Amino acid sequence: MRTIFHLDLDAFFVSVERILDPSLEGKPVIVGGDPHGRGVVAACSYEARRFGLHSAMPIRTAFKLCPQGIYLHGHFKEYSRYSRAVKNILSGYAPVIEQASVDEFYMDFTGCRRMYGSMFELASHLQKKIWVKLSLPCSIGIGGNKTVAKIGSDCMKPMGITYILPGMEKEFLAPMPVETIPGVGKVTMRELNSKGIYKIDDITKLPSDYFAAAFGKYGIDLWLKANGEGSEYLTVEREQKSISKETTFGSDVVNKEIIYNTLFELTGKVCHSLRENNWQAATITIKLRYSDFQTITRSKTIKPSSDDDKVIFETALNMLKKAQTRRVAVRLIGIGLTKFNEFSEQEVLFEDIEIKRKKLLRAVDWLRRKYNYSIITMGAQ
Amino acid sequence: MPKFFIGTAGWSYKDWVPAFYPKQQSGGFDWLQFYSHYFNCVEVNSTYYSYLSPRVVESWIRKVIDSEDFTFTVKLHQDFTHKKNFDEKKIKAVNYNLDILSKAERLGGLLIQFPYSFPFSDVTADYVRRLSEIFQSYNLFFEVRHASWQNEQAMELFKKLNLTFCTIDQPQIGKSIPFEPVITNDKAYIRFHGRNVEAWMKSIHSYGKEQSYEEQSERYKYLYSPGELVEIQQKIKEVQGKVKEVYVIMNNHPQGDAVANTFELIHLLEEKIKVDMPATIVKAFPRLQTIFEGNGKSMTLI
Ligand SMILES: [Mg+2]
Repeated sequence: MRTIFHLDLDAFFVSVERILDPSLEGKPVIVGGDPHGRGVVAACSYEARRFGLHSAMPIRTAFKLCPQGIYLHGHFKEYSRYSRAVKNILSGYAPVIEQASVDEFYMDFTGCRRMYGSMFELASHLQKKIWVKLSLPCSIGIGGNKTVAKIGSDCMKPMGITYILPGMEKEFLAPMPVETIPGVGKVTMRELNSKGIYKIDDITKLPSDYFAAAFGKYGIDLWLKANGEGSEYLTVEREQKSISKETTFGSDVVNKEIIYNTLFELTGKVCHSLRENNWQAATITIKLRYSDFQTITRSKTIKPSSDDDKVIFETALNMLKKAQTRRVAVRLIGIGLTKFNEFSEQEVLFEDIEIKRKKLLRAVDWLRRKYNYSIITMGAQ
Repeated sequence: MPKFFIGTAGWSYKDWVPAFYPKQQSGGFDWLQFYSHYFNCVEVNSTYYSYLSPRVVESWIRKVIDSEDFTFTVKLHQDFTHKKNFDEKKIKAVNYNLDILSKAERLGGLLIQFPYSFPFSDVTADYVRRLSEIFQSYNLFFEVRHASWQNEQAMELFKKLNLTFCTIDQPQIGKSIPFEPVITNDKAYIRFHGRNVEAWMKSIHSYGKEQSYEEQSERYKYLYSPGELVEIQQKIKEVQGKVKEVYVIMNNHPQGDAVANTFELIHLLEEKIKVDMPATIVKAFPRLQTIFEGNGKSMTLI
């Protein structure tokens, strides 16, 4: 079971507007521009919500409901600055962060209990810190997967913390209306309602096959989410989105051993960069170019992700063997790694062999740095 | 946390009335004395234009007497940095005033600011070396504005000579050095010139022309937004652990913008929930209300 936090800044745009102009405190504030124009509400304060306003509502409708509201065009650059500042604070705590939108962050704290103690206290600490440092209120949901955490953060707004205890996901979700599930819009809601499905509980009572038949892959996802089995993995954008290395042979090569050895060497180098960044890669890509410039690339996604030379080389070599069907000389060979997630040592705490192997690889990295690749070759097994 | 010295470049601006200095001033009212009640540092810029009488410097010391740790940093005369026309007499004149401050334990150091037209080269590096020898008995803060100084060799020079390489925030035009704190000794000196790109460009074109105070100041007219200040604070935070003292100087002086931003930076950098400030500035900059009152943030900073 993982420990996922979902942190959602409360009425974010409005909170920033109140930093810029404290006199907006306690008033119905709407960000979205000209109240007589064609725009929609980008955000509104809790005071404005009491008039029935909500985001994405046409601004003219909002004005009819709440003519006394304060309508602002918004300072969007300022919102990004504050969003980055929040992420900067969170990155001091969370090993992995997925920024889902300008005001929403998923964090994976799996295995961090020893470092931080109570997860609830950690959430409360983060909430205080963001409030004191940036004057921004936020709510946090803690759960075993992204869906549960996100629904949790929405439960007690503003400045709320909701911790869905491990094993309680299904019970927590059961009484909620189906549209609580992220991704269930008005259309899906109506369709579900027309089938007599109103609460999340109603979904779990039906077999998954039913949803697979009615909605395809989306239906299976929906069923899993309703059962408290939403996605556990964060999508992390990296500045460096791929690590790759390739070699163009001085003269075209036919000898397979030379080609495989080169692939091995390249694998060592990319894995080394990977471990330096404390990342693991999920997708491995090989590139093969024949002397006539025909170029072939093959990719494979492995599970779990890895930073292990052996695992990655074996996968790459297999792909290469399958891809290299012609008896033409080879001009270039390359390997690339993508889809990174950060390596969390705690996760494999009880898998001693794995840990030992990781430690060995780290030692190898150190030696490689020292000798600049020259002395170590593990030899292709 | 290092010791922070946070203040403005100069204190004597008529257009800080009434945004900072009150409109009604009694006979004995003194600007520097008023200033020193709120800030612990000021950068003296008048020394860039003239060699001041030691009497003036002595009077400053008397005026800040109530402020325990108040510190002056002094900008070196343009004869040294822009005109490169100095002699023993001028050196002595500079030293004399610096020594008065130093003996009174009121001197933070000497700011040596070069123009954009002073890019990194063997010749300019030698010039820096020469000035650093001349003024070796003071803490030296060197400000250069051309991005060519951002290289390993220049940094090594600063480290070797134990000079502080100033971090500056200025409009990003041409090869202007970007805001990127670098540490070369046990101090950081950070200057903010505003981000008024348009007026900065205009000032380049009217360089050398006769200009009024308003025209000259226009390029410094800029109020940093709260979000920009938060980003600045986070960048400074990354390096503040490496130094003992951090000087932060706001040079966006027109109409008191620098004063408002200085109070905001005290709040952010010194982690003060409530900052002591006069009612005048809160009236001129209503967004300061939050840190003026502490905004009910009774929670201790973490
Ligand atoms: Mg939100």
